[in-house]
Amino acid sequence: MNKIAATIDNFGRAILDNIEEMGRILILFLSVLMWMVRPPLKLRLIFRQMEFVGVKSIFVVVLTGTFTGMVMALQGYYGFKMFNAESLVGSTVALGMTRELGPVLTALMVTARAGSAMAAELGTMRVTEQIDALYVMATNPVKHLIVPRVIAGVVMLPLLTVVADFMGILGGYFVGVPILGINSGAFVNNITKMVDLGDIYHGLTKAAFFGLILSVVGCHKGFNTTGGAEGVGRATTEAVVLASVSILISDYFLTAIMF
Amino acid sequence: MSSISTEAKVGLFVLAALIILAYMSFRVGEYGFGLKKGYLVNVVFDDATGLEKDASVQIAGVEVGRVEDISLKDGKALVTLRILPSVELEKDVEAKIKSYGILGDKYVDIVPGTKDGTYITAGGDITRTGQQADIDKLLSELGIIAGDVMKITSSLKNVLGSAEGEANLKAIVENTRSITENLNRVVTQNDEKLNLMITNLGEASAEMRNAFAALNNIVERIDSGEGTIGQLVENRDVFDNLNQTLASIRDITDKINKGEGTIGKLVNDEDTVDNLNASLKSLEKSMDGIERYVSKSEQFKTFLSYRGEYLFDGGDGKGYFDLTIRPKEDKFYVLGLVADPRGSRTVTDTTVGATPTTRTETWERDELLFTAQIGKRFKDIALRGGIFESTGGVGIDYFAFDDRLQVTFEAFDFDSDRNAHLKTYAEYRLLKHIYLSAGWDDFISNEGRESPFIGFSIKFEDEDLKYLLGSVPIPK
Repeated sequence: MNKIAATIDNFGRAILDNIEEMGRILILFLSVLMWMVRPPLKLRLIFRQMEFVGVKSIFVVVLTGTFTGMVMALQGYYGFKMFNAESLVGSTVALGMTRELGPVLTALMVTARAGSAMAAELGTMRVTEQIDALYVMATNPVKHLIVPRVIAGVVMLPLLTVVADFMGILGGYFVGVPILGINSGAFVNNITKMVDLGDIYHGLTKAAFFGLILSVVGCHKGFNTTGGAEGVGRATTEAVVLASVSILISDYFLTAIMF
Repeated sequence: MSSISTEAKVGLFVLAALIILAYMSFRVGEYGFGLKKGYLVNVVFDDATGLEKDASVQIAGVEVGRVEDISLKDGKALVTLRILPSVELEKDVEAKIKSYGILGDKYVDIVPGTKDGTYITAGGDITRTGQQADIDKLLSELGIIAGDVMKITSSLKNVLGSAEGEANLKAIVENTRSITENLNRVVTQNDEKLNLMITNLGEASAEMRNAFAALNNIVERIDSGEGTIGQLVENRDVFDNLNQTLASIRDITDKINKGEGTIGKLVNDEDTVDNLNASLKSLEKSMDGIERYVSKSEQFKTFLSYRGEYLFDGGDGKGYFDLTIRPKEDKFYVLGLVADPRGSRTVTDTTVGATPTTRTETWERDELLFTAQIGKRFKDIALRGGIFESTGGVGIDYFAFDDRLQVTFEAFDFDSDRNAHLKTYAEYRLLKHIYLSAGWDDFISNEGRESPFIGFSIKFEDEDLKYLLGSVPIPK
């Protein structure tokens, strides 16, 4: 009897913990919004985070985008070849990259690279009581540490997505035209004909949301780290998992709303 | 790397990303920026199914604008088009909704109008619209048509599908063919005749009308006693005269019957009749005989001839004995025997096992060859055909100097194995019954038998033979 009660107890506590965490994230997000509009903004900190989130992620994003585009062209080619519609490979790659793969893959890569770093950084600062020191120095840690990271994430993710989209289409072109022998004119024309501006901008909007999610989740996990070095590791892992899952789930809803 | 500041790095990155974004937007949007300056044109379609906002507007396949808006107006679709400012539309352009292929997107196609310098201004209307055949409509109509066709074919199948129907159809077709063939033949063959007949009929009917009128006239005149016949019919005297004449003729014949007078005796005496009959018969016979013998003796001639030839190369002699029967001047028969030193040839083919055929030729000496020919003479030329030396052949004779000289060419013994036997010679009448001849025998022989020869012949007409044959009925 006790065991059953304990199980139900645990189940209920898990739900409560989750809801509590969602609440904390929301509160953090709101306080970020509040601190964001409150001058002075520390531009130097923002730029540093932008460099870390954006510029230093270029290489991995370029790599991801290019190979994603290439493999899409390769896979799409075998499908479209059955209908003698090889020239549609270009538009398939372009549509897939701009609408879905560009934002999502970029967000996942940045989550793995920068989101985890944010959690680890803030977590270390938490367990080494540096954050407490900031409070002592009458400096709001949210404004000082989290706002620049969130701004950097929201601004940089769309820009990285643009790079990923472009490199993906370029990779698709490289595989489709010289290697698979698709007519280059038809390839490019189909892209321009089938892809709308809306496809690109909706993808970028999604990317901004993903940037927000990954930075807020990363910061939250790091900011609330407990349990020393072990806790930092756990926080990092949890940040990446939660951010990635949130990105994929929110992607569905964002897509449903926008398209 | 350390020399580049964080700000510069971020700035460069943002700039690069924005440039890429601008480039992609420009390529994808195509007219995304410039089009907003374009002017608006309204067009009302009965049905704008499948047409969407931002659908392409094209002239001759070139995009000149986009669909700005689609709304409802009086139960029809009011479509607003945004046209590029560089494109001018004539007043009478026609707008159509078309689709890329069967399943492709819809677009508005504009057919250019007449170039008369008047153009649609911004906010104007395109008044002429056309509707592309809708695929759904097309398919439903096709379905109806297919149903109709199926009904027809099924009923046709019932009628014609059976073996009986097939046979009937075949018979009908054949009958039709033969009828038309016959008709065609009759018409083509008798075209002229038919024409002639019709014209003749027309003429005849006209003539007949005249003839009947004339006949009427004549009959009237006879009735009224005009002319000879009229008088004959009407006048009593003529009739009386005729009666008297007939009466006197009867008197004469009566007398003859009774044996009165010479003619009477002659006619009435039985002996006279017998005598007359007998003498007439004998006369007939003798006339017949005379006629036959005279004609035959004039025309019918028989000749006997013997010719001997000496072949120089063979060193042999060849003898010919011929009977020529000439029932008419231009027709003759030749029957004869030939004594050839080489005799007749016998060919034996023997096949032993798988070895090739061996052909053995044996020449039998002292055997007579036959001649049987029929000939016809045309002036100086006589043609002969029949059996020459026991083989089939033809010959031609040319006569000159009142038949004193005869030049002959003969071809016979046609065989696939060797060349034909050709023979040519000239014969000259030296004395009354004596002839001399010279020629070349078998001159294209490929068996080494060609040989020049000279000959001597006796030819005379046999009168007895002629009468012997003359009594045999020979068609003249």
